[in-house]
Amino acid sequence: MATAIYNTLFRRNWTMLGVVFAGAFAFELGYDKVMDRVWDNNNRGRQWKDIRHKYIEGGDDE
Amino acid sequence: MAPLQTVSRALARSAAAARVPATATTTTTTATAVRAMSSTPALRDSSSSYQSPFKGESKTKVPDFSKYMSKGSGSTNALFSYFMVGTLGAISAAGAKSTIQQFLVNMSASADVLAMAKVEVDLAAIPEGKNVVIKWRGKPVFIRHRTAAEIDEANSINVASLRDPETDDQRVKKPEWLVMLGVCTHLGCVPIGEAGDFGGWFCPCHGSHYDISGRIRKGPAPLNLEIPAYDFSDDGKLVVG
Repeated sequence: MATAIYNTLFRRNWTMLGVVFAGAFAFELGYDKVMDRVWDNNNRGRQWKDIRHKYIEGGDDE
Repeated sequence: MAPLQTVSRALARSAAAARVPATATTTTTTATAVRAMSSTPALRDSSSSYQSPFKGESKTKVPDFSKYMSKGSGSTNALFSYFMVGTLGAISAAGAKSTIQQFLVNMSASADVLAMAKVEVDLAAIPEGKNVVIKWRGKPVFIRHRTAAEIDEANSINVASLRDPETDDQRVKKPEWLVMLGVCTHLGCVPIGEAGDFGGWFCPCHGSHYDISGRIRKGPAPLNLEIPAYDFSDDGKLVVG
């Protein structure tokens, strides 16, 4: 099991580099999403998108 | 020549070798005499002897590291090590990319600057056959609501005969609306509308004549009047910028 993973992912340098970059991409997506959620949660009710409906009526378009 | 030389060299060497023993004995005797005169004792006949500071200990005894040894197999350990290295690399790569990206985004124009750089014009207020001049980024912009006759006139011209060959289709998005920068391409004066020999614009500074499509027809200007980036919004408005 461990040998198989090691052989497929880390054995050759270029595969490891690819795995690392792919991991970086996935990590960035997830991290950004989580941090956005944390930020929105911290500032709930204070952002424009939260209070927009009070000032602009008529659906989503500006 | 060569054999003779080697023979003579061999002879000389043998003669020297025969003489060597005598000189060798004389040098050894003088060497011992010098050593006897020296104040430091010769190493050979010293009474002291080397003593190891690790006396009594076995030098081959290796400490027991089994407490620190990993219980897992070698492949698992290798996988774990490379996984940690890879994870660190991935996080660093994401951080580096984010740093550079945010730095570059920081240099681009912000939303308020972009909003200020646009001008919105209500096209319904411009009747057919009329010019409107608006200010956009400190420069005049000509907007002309062209009549059908003017459009036909602009299309009827032989493009190949122009100084800066451009068809009318290349210069407008909707044929009835001509939008262009009101800056003469010669030296930057502002041309006068509905004037000149070609029914378009005329630059009073040096006499450049532009036609109804804003193309240079006569005079010193090298290029047609410039077309800014613009778009028509759905509710009958023109957005320049």
